[in-house]
Amino acid sequence: MTASETPDPVAQATDSAAEGTGPAPAVDAAAHPDALLQVRDVTKVYGSGHTAVTALAEATLAVEKGEFVALLGPSGSGKTTLISIIGGLLAPTSGSVTIGDTDVASLSRKQLTRFRAERVGFVFQSANLVPFLTARENLLYVAGLVGMTKSDSRARADQLLDELGLTDRARNLPEQLSGGERQRVAIGRALMNDPDLVLVDEPTAALDTALGRQVVQLLRREIKDRGKTGIMVTHDLRMVEYTDRVFEILDGHLTHVESPSALGH
Amino acid sequence: MNLATTEVKRAKLRFGLLTGAVALLVFLTLLLTTLSGALIGALVGALEGLKTDGLAYSDTARDNIAASRLPVDTVDAVAAVSGVAAAAGIGTLTTAAEVNGEAIDIQVFGVDSTGPGAPSGLTDGRLPENANEAAVDGGGVAIGDVIVLDPSGVELTVVGLLRGAQFNAIPTAYSDLATFEDIVTLSFPGLPFVPINAVAFDIAEGAQASEVIAAIESSVPGVRAYTRDDAVALIPGIDSITQSFGILVGLTFIIGIVVIGFFFLILTVQKLKSFTLLRAIGTTTGRLAITVSLQIAFVVILASIIAVGLVLLAVQGLNTGIPVTLEPITIVATVLAVLVFSLIAGLLSIRRIVRIDPASAVGAR
Repeated sequence: MTASETPDPVAQATDSAAEGTGPAPAVDAAAHPDALLQVRDVTKVYGSGHTAVTALAEATLAVEKGEFVALLGPSGSGKTTLISIIGGLLAPTSGSVTIGDTDVASLSRKQLTRFRAERVGFVFQSANLVPFLTARENLLYVAGLVGMTKSDSRARADQLLDELGLTDRARNLPEQLSGGERQRVAIGRALMNDPDLVLVDEPTAALDTALGRQVVQLLRREIKDRGKTGIMVTHDLRMVEYTDRVFEILDGHLTHVESPSALGH
Repeated sequence: MNLATTEVKRAKLRFGLLTGAVALLVFLTLLLTTLSGALIGALVGALEGLKTDGLAYSDTARDNIAASRLPVDTVDAVAAVSGVAAAAGIGTLTTAAEVNGEAIDIQVFGVDSTGPGAPSGLTDGRLPENANEAAVDGGGVAIGDVIVLDPSGVELTVVGLLRGAQFNAIPTAYSDLATFEDIVTLSFPGLPFVPINAVAFDIAEGAQASEVIAAIESSVPGVRAYTRDDAVALIPGIDSITQSFGILVGLTFIIGIVVIGFFFLILTVQKLKSFTLLRAIGTTTGRLAITVSLQIAFVVILASIIAVGLVLLAVQGLNTGIPVTLEPITIVATVLAVLVFSLIAGLLSIRRIVRIDPASAVGAR
């Protein structure tokens, strides 16, 4: 986050993260006019007057259907604010977010709740599973939100758990699962409602490198196999190799769009 | 996937403890309501249960039947008043007695078993028809027992058992008026005449109670008349006792409800992380509010069942000296009141749920 005043251009220019070689996201977005997700000039300001803080400044990006992209930036850079706005958890101060033909920013509070239930799958960094529901029940709960029939929801949950290698852990409560298993259950839950968009917030934050890689590989496979659109927020450069494109963000500004290989990890 | 029942199943200890605590609160409220009702009933049950439309006392009695003294011919004077269908004397005194080798205090009423003022609440046997017979409420007597009054030495054979017919919360015996006269005469030798304490009267069909009462007071000198309900309400001290118990029961109830509300608020605050996650993935506030309400209803109903069981045991086990019975209407009214007000107290939890910001699930604020 930055203060409301204009970010120091000198500081920005000298920051290594701002020295990418890829195009600016706005330029890149113009090249994807029919992308499933279109974020245009989204700004988020917290507070007002002297206490105003700009978390996100005129962010523009486009992500095609079937793409799995990373949003890379240090802590406090505004990446979580951006996916919260895309996922209908936060309202932007200005700008627009469209997913398909839905303008997310124009939805009412009630419509946003419905939108999140039906069209978005979330994998959060923490507070990720309901502690008193088993792995399978965490998936089935989502099916209940979107009105899936019992037989369909059971079949889908079992299939997802099977794909995620969790069949044996289906009846375990989150506290009985390892960190990696919990994140895999969360991936299954995010896909349970057959969403257009899967938003993933720092999925490897609590995992070691090897486990983190496994989880992100699995995430990529599930998103790609199902033709979903995924955005993964991360500050871990090692995880971006599994994504198609990387959007870099610093101090609330989307700076570049890079290919994972160009980041040289 | 029902969140409410699934959570209860998974957190048996937590909800078990909560149910236990709520059960104790409901138990306390129910027991206090029952005991206070029983005590008030034991204090005034005799007058409440008299089969009469009204009672006349001496005008110097200050609404107290025990302080009232009337000559026996007042009965005829009252009976002669227009609008009075029938009248009968009632005498009463408190005396010592011995029954089954045990000394007790007893309230004796002399009544006309076939006229106005006969007692109600007969559970076994019959009302007295002959001299030295009595129908009794309390004292642990059985039909056929003999009560020896002291100092008169009059013996009363128990021929009937009554419920809800006590006076002053002590065993109460109903005999005929002739036996009552004997008791008074032998207890207080030298009395110039045996007074009665009240005249019970029935109001003729079609007559207005207020008009008949006014007619009695204007026609019969030195008499003040009341409807039976007014006579009960005006018993000295009963108003204060009723109010005191009302405050006691009311405060217990209110404190219980507030505690139940806080219990669920604590549970809700403990689960805010989960609720925030559920809001973030598209659960409506209404759905979460229903979940909390269902859990409140479940806990309160289960707790009430346990509490009713405990009160039934307590009523059987407690030796209060007064007849205590748990009325179904008391159970239903108390449980319904606890349920309704607990759900209202649950609004504290629901208010907290409404304030959840789903964006905090990703720490965006």
